[in-house]
Amino acid sequence: MNNYLISISIRNLARQKRRNFFLGLAIAIGMMILVISNGFTNGISDVMFNRIMRWVTGHVTISFNEKGNIRREVCRDRDRMISVIRQSDGETILDIDESIGTFAKAIGNGSADNIILVAVDLSKSVDAKKIKETEESFKMVEGSFYDLRRTDIENAAILSEEKARYLNVKTNDVIRIRFRNIYGQDQAARLTVVGIMKNSNIFMQPVVFSEMANVRHVMGFRPWETGNINVVLKNPKKDAVALANRIHEKLAPGRAVISGTLNHAGKSDPVAVAGYRSDVESLAKVAAILKPAGGAEVKKDGAFVSAKLAKRMGINTGSRVLVSYPNKFDDNSSVFPMNITGIFNGDINDNLIIVNETDFYNAYYDNLPRLPDGNAATEFSPAETHPLSPLLTTEWVLLKRTANTDELKKKYQDMGKQKWKATLVDVRTMYESASDILKLEGVLNIITFSAVLVLFFIILIGVINTLRMTIRERTREIGTIRAIGMQKSDVRAIFILESFFLTLISCLTGIALAFIVMRLLSLIPLEMQDNPMGMLLIQNRLHFVPSFAGIVFNLLLILCLAVVTAYFPARRAADFSPANALRHYE
Amino acid sequence: MKYLLTMLACAVFSAPLAAESRVTAILKSIEDQMKMKTDIKANVTLTQQKVEQGTKLIEMVYFRRDSDDSFLIVMQSPENEKGNGYLRAGENFWMYRKNTRTFQHINRDESIGGSDAKGDDFEQRNLTELYAPALDSQGVEIISDEMLGKVPVYRLEIKAIVNDVDYPRKIYWVRRDNNLILKEESYALSGTLMQTVYFVKYTVVDGRYVAVKHIYIDEFEKGNKTIVDISNILTSKLDSSIFTKAYLENLSK
Repeated sequence: MNNYLISISIRNLARQKRRNFFLGLAIAIGMMILVISNGFTNGISDVMFNRIMRWVTGHVTISFNEKGNIRREVCRDRDRMISVIRQSDGETILDIDESIGTFAKAIGNGSADNIILVAVDLSKSVDAKKIKETEESFKMVEGSFYDLRRTDIENAAILSEEKARYLNVKTNDVIRIRFRNIYGQDQAARLTVVGIMKNSNIFMQPVVFSEMANVRHVMGFRPWETGNINVVLKNPKKDAVALANRIHEKLAPGRAVISGTLNHAGKSDPVAVAGYRSDVESLAKVAAILKPAGGAEVKKDGAFVSAKLAKRMGINTGSRVLVSYPNKFDDNSSVFPMNITGIFNGDINDNLIIVNETDFYNAYYDNLPRLPDGNAATEFSPAETHPLSPLLTTEWVLLKRTANTDELKKKYQDMGKQKWKATLVDVRTMYESASDILKLEGVLNIITFSAVLVLFFIILIGVINTLRMTIRERTREIGTIRAIGMQKSDVRAIFILESFFLTLISCLTGIALAFIVMRLLSLIPLEMQDNPMGMLLIQNRLHFVPSFAGIVFNLLLILCLAVVTAYFPARRAADFSPANALRHYE
Repeated sequence: MKYLLTMLACAVFSAPLAAESRVTAILKSIEDQMKMKTDIKANVTLTQQKVEQGTKLIEMVYFRRDSDDSFLIVMQSPENEKGNGYLRAGENFWMYRKNTRTFQHINRDESIGGSDAKGDDFEQRNLTELYAPALDSQGVEIISDEMLGKVPVYRLEIKAIVNDVDYPRKIYWVRRDNNLILKEESYALSGTLMQTVYFVKYTVVDGRYVAVKHIYIDEFEKGNKTIVDISNILTSKLDSSIFTKAYLENLSK
């Protein structure tokens, strides 16, 4: 395209300053609204995902619900799980956090209230960005976040301003709390207030922070155990789902076996103990395989030994036997007592004891067994191809992956319909845990975009109208430039370019205005501590995250609309015959 | 709370004990004279007093059959709970909501009818399977002869041998003449006294003692207490149809 066409079109823009100014202003305002709304909806997602969900669940969560109980979140082998996560792709992972917390009843000075006790790990090194985010989210009114490290007092804790007011406590006061530990026992502890924080959102008001080691201790976690595990990623949008899928793949459970020594009547023999599934269908299948002597029933509380082992050890139906086995994580041994309910004759290794899954998992999770060479499949347990194999207990039950919140909800509803004995392991990303937020963002964007499109439709009618007026005013001028040799296409291009530049300049102005307005709006403090909408604020201020891609998309779309709109009047202008145009007179 | 319901629910099965101790013998005696061998139907009234909530009356009908570990609780009051129920059949434990006419699997540690009682309070569990004598630093059982008011009692301390109990340590005051528990203190793992129970009134049903009135004092949150009254105890055999979802649904219509 010739540069003179651009020069002419820009010069023409300046010829009707007032008219183009108002038209441009309308376009700029439309663009400004679009950018601000885009920044606001992205800001909501940013707050929810990167300022709330990221802290609460990480980008990827691996949850462990012992016996399917949503309140008993215990991982019995932390290091193994972390190793699986690292092996799944260490490059994309920024951080791996242990998620430990519990609901508790707190008693302050003369009043009581519910709290959520949350463990924070201050032993980990944190970067400046994380410190800044923490300070933004939890602004300390009294004390410092790092006072949680104090060991000269009992269980240092930080709580919100609102909770401190309700419990009538101040710094150095003691709060007594009552809660359920990981075994479901009633537990009590004392927390010493070392700091009071001002939260930016209402949902953080019940949260009381204490150091990880203290919370682990009072909740009954042993050094090798933890709660859920949260993974924070460098680029969650790109990597979260892929990483969750890889972790899920690597977490396929092996067979759960206890390898130990059977002790009975002064004799001992090496054995493996495996659990059998206790649903009605499985019980029938187990009975068909074991063929217990004397037609003994295979029940939910059964324990079976082989006829040869029973004869060797002097075991009868009704005998109480003990299996001792070394613990995986300490130098001690555990004893698994069982009452033998039957003796089997099936085609199974003599030294395999088969017990009901309830008793098996109780013993297994209480102290994970140390297995020979760390291998779950001992020489006594049946091969994978054996018909008994699918009926035996696995280390845990791995729940299937889900794509969104609806599927996740359904999965948990289905989970609640069954009685579980094993630990349920679930791998999920925050995008599926809170896909409704993404939906909300999408809906807000669509609503805003639709409203602005209507606005632009009205504006573009203005553009057409303005262009028609301009063409009418410049008809003789068109005739003149056509008469001296300008081509139709050039005339058309001049008018299209005029609209294009008007829209471009207006949109750029609108974008600049939007950034100024967003900056100004984010300077206004909003006191919304008691309002759920306060969770969308950062340090009591609106949070805008305009997206470059979103702005470019909107800009290109509006430019296209302007060009398409200008095309038809421009074509009409170009189609004038020079003679007729020169004769035109108003 | 747990103890009352455990007594109602005591099972016939008892684990063989390695060595009989003085405390163990008393615990076994408590079990023996309180374990019911028949089906049970009873009305249970909980009067719950809480500092900030006032007094709340919770009434329920309780059906129990030990032969297959089943029990059914039908809520009578308060009004918003009336018709709701809890059914345990074997391994399954459902909560029934009358308003939605739906059954939902729940865990044994969930609250029953908004009270402090939980699902596992109604389960069949033997005292000697859960607790063993606590030993002092010399390895000697902690038991002494005391007077509780004017009643001569044993004061004995027991500790949990399994994890899934509410309290890992308890102290009992047991009548010396008939081994009935008069008072119980429950401690958290931290050593904090969490709850005191007074067994105020016993009655004999089918030759077994049943504590029909007891008071639970919340020692952690002072001022909270629950009074439990058990009445209309029937020990005739219960029909199998009682422990079904259909029965609960029909009852709640």
